[in-house]
Amino acid sequence: MRDYFEFVKSLMEGDKREDALRGLRVVEITHFIFGPNIGRVLAQYGAEVVKIETPGEGDRYRIAAIFGRFYNRANLLYAILNANKYIIAADARNEKARKIIFELIKKADVFVENLSAGLVDAMGIGYEAIRKVNPGIIYVSCSGYGQYGPMSRLPSFDVAAQGVAGVAMKTGWEDVDEFYKLPDYFGDYLPSMYAVFAVLSALYYREITGKGQYIDISQCESLMRFMYDFTYFSVTGEEIGKTGNMDPASVPSGIFRTKDGKFVAISILTTQQFEALKSLIPQLKDGDRFMKERAKELNRIVARWVEEKHLEEILELAKKYRFPASPVLDDKEVASDSWRWERGSILKINDRLLGEIPVTGPIVAMSSTPGKIKWLGRPVGYHNRLVLKKWLGMSDKEIEELEREGVIGYWDEMPGTAPPVTWDAEKDEVFWGEKDEEG
Amino acid sequence: MKRDEVLMNLFSEDNKPAALENIKVVEIADENFAAAVAGSMLAEMGADVLRVEVGDEAKSVTPYGVTVNGAGIPYLVESRNKEIVKFDESVKDKIFSADIVIDGTAPGYLETLGIGYSQLSVKNPGIIYVAISPFGHYTSKAKEFKDVPDSDLTAQAYNGYPTLIGNPYLTGEHSYPLRAGLWAAWTMAGVNAAVGAMIALLERLKSGKGQFIDIATNDAIAVVTTFPAVVGFLFDSPRGRFGTIDYLVYPFGYYKVKDGYIALATPSDADFRALLKIIKRWDLEPDWKFTLDRISDDIDRIRILDEELNKTLQKFSLGELLKRASKLRRSRIPLISRFLGRPVIVKMNTLKEVLQSEHWKIRKSFLQVKFNGKEIIVPNSPIKASETPPKIKKLLGKLIK
Repeated sequence: MRDYFEFVKSLMEGDKREDALRGLRVVEITHFIFGPNIGRVLAQYGAEVVKIETPGEGDRYRIAAIFGRFYNRANLLYAILNANKYIIAADARNEKARKIIFELIKKADVFVENLSAGLVDAMGIGYEAIRKVNPGIIYVSCSGYGQYGPMSRLPSFDVAAQGVAGVAMKTGWEDVDEFYKLPDYFGDYLPSMYAVFAVLSALYYREITGKGQYIDISQCESLMRFMYDFTYFSVTGEEIGKTGNMDPASVPSGIFRTKDGKFVAISILTTQQFEALKSLIPQLKDGDRFMKERAKELNRIVARWVEEKHLEEILELAKKYRFPASPVLDDKEVASDSWRWERGSILKINDRLLGEIPVTGPIVAMSSTPGKIKWLGRPVGYHNRLVLKKWLGMSDKEIEELEREGVIGYWDEMPGTAPPVTWDAEKDEVFWGEKDEEG
Repeated sequence: MKRDEVLMNLFSEDNKPAALENIKVVEIADENFAAAVAGSMLAEMGADVLRVEVGDEAKSVTPYGVTVNGAGIPYLVESRNKEIVKFDESVKDKIFSADIVIDGTAPGYLETLGIGYSQLSVKNPGIIYVAISPFGHYTSKAKEFKDVPDSDLTAQAYNGYPTLIGNPYLTGEHSYPLRAGLWAAWTMAGVNAAVGAMIALLERLKSGKGQFIDIATNDAIAVVTTFPAVVGFLFDSPRGRFGTIDYLVYPFGYYKVKDGYIALATPSDADFRALLKIIKRWDLEPDWKFTLDRISDDIDRIRILDEELNKTLQKFSLGELLKRASKLRRSRIPLISRFLGRPVIVKMNTLKEVLQSEHWKIRKSFLQVKFNGKEIIVPNSPIKASETPPKIKKLLGKLIK
C-alpha cells in the first residue's frame, strides 16, 4: 500500500497552475508590519503589489534592524516583509505626488493603508474619494482601534494594542509584578493575517457581484477575538490573569526542565492523553483535575518526573504513548531545523541585489498554486520608473521632471534604505524601468 | 464627529448579504482548536459550516473546567454559526460535496475513514482540502511524529516562541521560557488556514480545480513573523529572553506608573525626544539620541536606560503623562505632524475596563448573548466590511438574538 505521507508529498511536488492571485493589482501606503504584511501575503501568491513610501527614510521599519545588524545595507526583516513588491517613493506633502498616488489607487483592485486613522482623508485619497472613481476598489484601513469611535485617533503599536486589548495582562507569572508582551509583534501579525482573510473574502464577493467595499480592521479587536477570557469573565465574574506556564484549559500542562538541562512542553487535552501519561506517572490521579490548586499540584508531579528524564526519552514516550510534548526551540534551532527546510517554510533565495539569503517561505503550503519568494524588498524609490511607466504610461522625461521637483525620490544615507555598495545603477535595467523583475 | 457618523452609516449591518453565501464547509476536528478557528472565520463571513466531531472531548478543553450548557468556553466561542454533528456514514455525502474541507484530525486518519483527499478529490476535483496538524501531512518528520497529538502549548514551543518570553534575571522556575498567555499558535494557525482556503477558493473561480493545503501549527508563528530565519542567518547565537525589553525598538513595553501600568512605545527618534520632554529627562538625550543608540544588542547596556525610565515614570500618573503629552508642540499641517514626535502612551486595561469601554460598545466589538437567562459576552468578528459585514447568528447550534 502506498504511504499517505508520500502521497501528500507527491501532491506538493506535482503539477502547478498559474499563481493564484495573478492579475490582481494592489497599492499600499503602509509602514511597520500590520499594513505591509497584507501586501506580503498577496504578493506571495501572485498579486502585483506597489508600495508607496516617503522619499529618503522610506518605511520607518527599514531602520529597525535587529540589534542594528544590516546586511548589504538592507534590513532583512524589512526585505522579507516587503518581498515581491514594487517599491516607489512619492512625497505626499506635494500636491503632484498626491495626484500620482490617486492615479495609482484608481487603477488598483485593492488598496491597503495603515496610517493614522483619518490621515488618508487629509491626503485626498479617503475611501469616499476613491470609490467615486473606482467603485470596485477593496479599500482596507488598518489601525490600532478602528476608524471610528472615541479612541480611533489614538496612536497605536503592537505593544499598545496588546495592552489596551487586555492581552498583556495574561502573560507572566502570577507572583511576579511584570507583564511580558507577546514577542515578535504578534499584535501586528495576527491582525494582519485576519485582514488578509477579510480582503480575500471581499475579493470573492467582488468576483461574484462586481462590488467593492471598505474594510476597517483594528489590532485590538483582532486580538480580543481570541481572548476567551472575556467570555470566561462574563460567566464566572473572574479574570484568569497570568498563569505562568500552565494553560488553564489543559491539565497537566507546562514547560518543564529535563535531566539534561533542556526544556520540554507538555500539554494534556483529552482523557485518553491523561490516561497515557498516568500509565507512566502513576501518581497522577484524575478527579477535579481542572480545579486550580489541583492542576498546579499535578503540574508539580509532572515537573518532578521530567527532572529525571532526558528530553529525547520524553519525546520517544510521547510518540509511543501519544500525548502532546515538544522541545522548546530557540531561534537558531528554528532556523536550522531540517523539517522546515524540507517543508519549504525556510528556503534560500538568490536575490539579484542582496545575494544568497535564507528567508521565511510562503505562509501557507498549497499543492497547485504555491506561494513564491521572488525578490526581496528593494531600496527606497527603486521601482519609481518601472511603476510610473507601466501603470501610468509616463515617459523618462516626465519622470525626470518629477525627480527634479522632488515629487518622487530615492533613498538617503540612512541604513536600510539604500542598495548594496557594490550596486551599479548604470547596469540595472529594472531600476531604469526598462525591464521587469524576474520571477 | 462627522467622519464617525459617515463611517458608522457605511458599516451598518442591516440587510446586507454575506461574502461567502452558499459556500459549503465541513470542519472535521475534535480538540484541535486551530481547525475550529479556521471554520469559525469562514462561518463569520457567511459560509455554511458543518462541524463534524469524531470524539467528544473538545467541549472539555476549557479554563479550569468552566462550561456553559455543557460546553467549554473556547468551544462555545468557536461554535459560531456552525451546525455540529457526530461523524457517521450519513454525513459522508456532505463531506464529498463540500467546497472546503478542514481536517483537524491526525494526518492520514480521514483516509482510513474513506474521506481523505485522495478519495474526495476523485469524486469532487474542485474540493479544497485544508489540513491542520503539528508537523503537516508530508515530510519525514511529519511521519515520524504522526501519533503525537497537537496542542497550543507544544506548538508554541516548537515555534520557538516561549524562548523569547520571560525574564532571565529572575530565579528558579521564573527564569524558564514562558508560555504566551493566549492560544498564540492555534490562533495563528487557524487564521493562516482560513487565508489558504480563501486563496484556493478565489483561484478555483479561474481553474475550476481544488487543491491540498497544509498548515503546520508547529510552524504557524515562525513562518509569519520572519524573525527566526533572519536571526539564524545573521547571528551565531539565538535570542534570549529580554524581560520587558523589546528586540528592535526601545522603549517598547509595559511600565509601572504612579497609578497603574502603561504601554509605552517610541518607534522613532522624534517620538523618543518627545517622551523625554514629557517626563522631564532631557538629560538622557545626548547618550540615547538615536534609534541605533537604543538597540538592545547589549542587554546590560540598555538596562541602564530602562532603569532610569522605570524610576522616572513611577513619579507620574497616567493622567499627568497624557496631559503633558497633549501640550507637545504640534504642526498644523497634518501630513508632517509625525515629524515632531508623539510617543505612544496608553493604559494597560483589565478585562473589566475593556468591557466597560465606550469605544468597543460603539463598535460592537462584543456581543451580549443570553444563555439560560444569563448574559454572556462573546467577542465579535474583528472585521468591519461595508458591503458584506460578518454576522454571528448561532452559538452551540442555537439561534441567538
